[in-house]
Amino acid sequence: MNFVFTDEQLQFKETIKSFLAQECTPESIRLGWKENSPFNQKRWDDLISLGVIGSNLSEEDGGLGVDQVALTLMIEEMGYSGLPEPVAEQNFLINDLLDIFPKDIKGALIDKFDCGSKYIAVAHSQNPHPLFVNQSNGLILLDDNSCHFINKDDLKFKELKSNDPSRSLSKILSIKNSIASSDNFEVLNQAMASRGSLLSSALLLGLAQKMLDLSSSYVLDRNQFGKPIGSFQAVKHMLADIAVAIEFARPAVYRSAYSLNENNPKSFLHCAHAKYMSIKAAELACRNSIQSHGAMGYTWEMDLHIFMRKAWSLIACWGNDDSQQDIIFNTLKSSKDEIGVLYTF
Amino acid sequence: MHLLKKETLILKMQIKFTEAQEKFRNEVRLWLQDNLPKKPLQSLDTQEGFELHREWERTLDSGNWSMVTWPKEYGGRGLNLIEWLIFEEEYYRADAPTRVNQNGVFLLGPTLMEFGTDQQKNKFLKAMASGDHIWAQGWSEPGAGSDMAAIRSTAVHEDGFFTINGQKTWSSRASYADWMFGLFRSDLSSERHKGLSFILTPLDLPGITVRPIPQLDGEPGFAEIYFDDVKVPVENLIGKEGDGWKIAMATAGFERGLMLRSPARFQQTAAKLLALYLENKSECSPAMQSKIVDAWSKSESYALSIYQTASHLMAGGSIGSESSLGKIFWSELDYMMHETALKILGASAELVDEEKHNGAKWIKGFMFSYAGPIYAGTNEIQKNIIAERLLGLPR
Repeated sequence: MNFVFTDEQLQFKETIKSFLAQECTPESIRLGWKENSPFNQKRWDDLISLGVIGSNLSEEDGGLGVDQVALTLMIEEMGYSGLPEPVAEQNFLINDLLDIFPKDIKGALIDKFDCGSKYIAVAHSQNPHPLFVNQSNGLILLDDNSCHFINKDDLKFKELKSNDPSRSLSKILSIKNSIASSDNFEVLNQAMASRGSLLSSALLLGLAQKMLDLSSSYVLDRNQFGKPIGSFQAVKHMLADIAVAIEFARPAVYRSAYSLNENNPKSFLHCAHAKYMSIKAAELACRNSIQSHGAMGYTWEMDLHIFMRKAWSLIACWGNDDSQQDIIFNTLKSSKDEIGVLYTF
Repeated sequence: MHLLKKETLILKMQIKFTEAQEKFRNEVRLWLQDNLPKKPLQSLDTQEGFELHREWERTLDSGNWSMVTWPKEYGGRGLNLIEWLIFEEEYYRADAPTRVNQNGVFLLGPTLMEFGTDQQKNKFLKAMASGDHIWAQGWSEPGAGSDMAAIRSTAVHEDGFFTINGQKTWSSRASYADWMFGLFRSDLSSERHKGLSFILTPLDLPGITVRPIPQLDGEPGFAEIYFDDVKVPVENLIGKEGDGWKIAMATAGFERGLMLRSPARFQQTAAKLLALYLENKSECSPAMQSKIVDAWSKSESYALSIYQTASHLMAGGSIGSESSLGKIFWSELDYMMHETALKILGASAELVDEEKHNGAKWIKGFMFSYAGPIYAGTNEIQKNIIAERLLGLPR
């Protein structure tokens, strides 16, 4: 038992953190909104050069073989900066599943689309409106019983407007010439749902931390009754509650990443747990952050909503807290193992 | 430029037990099976129950199980924090008796390890492990609760003795305990956090009056202690005179954090709650499911967090105000789980005869869970600490 990150894992986190602090500022995000093109191709290309996009591909597939835990730490930073590009999605839903996709589909992904660099969108029952289809080179679509890969030119889609201007969504109208397979479908479907839960959990953790940091700094600056509002206990306690919720969501998220890495048979449960805990933290972060900002928090001008909007979207995608609860409950009630201290590891 | 270097990819994180740790777990389990009292002990807050619990401490000590992390010379096994957590897991899994000496082994013990002299360690740790000295805590006073720096009880140093005067209150276990560790003002001209000293005193010295206070469950779980010119030898001072606040804060850290509230207790409560729900499912509203899941999820998270903290400490890290986060989390969780259990039991929840009703334990636990957000520093004080020390907000 050694629940600590390696220096290497932390180094990945720090690398992407400092890149994003420079390249993914609220100003740059707002510029993307204004120009109606939130996907910043230059930033995506820089992330390729940095090795982030293909980081978790195996070395033989042209990646670095970064493990799921390091990846999760990196994705937390993507949440923290509000990164609009679907890097976390590509990392977990394409790269990490490469060996689970049916053979023909894996072949197509590797041969034609160089998935270390080209973006592939994903549609799944838990994520019915794929992100940035227009910027993609194709789509992975899971329907009720099979997995499809569709070339972008063979897709007909309609763009949908999201409440989060950083997310460009689409509705798939029709597909043709898809490579389809139902091999190993149940496994793939569950593996994708787990990874969707995990990546959205990691993003939510980062978003919640960002909202807490923005609020902590706002309440230091804002004066009322002749002193910073952050000196009032009612305000302090709202922010302390967020800190508590984040603190106990974090280890659940890291454990679920480790669990995927270990092919733990309970990883589906662990990912549901991670998402459940991080939704609770993010919801509280949204509510208490806007409250501590007062009317300023309700404006378009204040940056808080950049992160709040993304959190609202991610809470709903890849299974909200109610559906994660169902997964947890059904697992616990039908478990053949003793629930309690022996169940955790 | 490629900032990610691939020669660095070694996965050393290990979130599972080693074979040696599993073997240790098994050893604990077998010992508990062979040595546990045949039937549950009477409440430790009765005179008789207290002595039965002291006997149990002696039994634990006879197997060197009193505090596995302590060095062997003091009755421990020299094991690490992970092994201690495993011990606790088996302990709660076996429903073993409450540790009557938890003020000693979990709070004062680690404090002595850090601040005590060799002589003090020799004198107190072994007697603590064996249950010969059962400890009470003497911090709060009538005028110093959440505002602990308002302590007014005095300890005047003269001719090799401290002369103690004043009053302590809410002192858990003091009704029957042998010793007390307390915080006293040794510099009479000092104010607030300065000039306090951390002093150990036997509770049977002349001039000490202990007045038990019945708690919510009717039993005298805590007491008031009056000091009237009580002479305590200066060897009983821990650390330096005037360093009391710093030492007490370290002790409080143990109390809020992983020592006193290891996760096993909450995980087992969550498991029992699930079992209670499944037994009574036909009478429960579907809305109850969500509470059961919440209980399991939070106790699981707490366990993961504590294992992460223990690993961090073993790797040479330290914790400070972070223990306040945990104190809020476990105390709220404990309350929520007991409240849920009472809802499942419905109108039977108030039936308290443990021999006749399976559910009778829950209401007692429920009442005790109300104490969690109060003791070891109220949750409101913890939130102030988090806001001021972790989030950087002004006092």
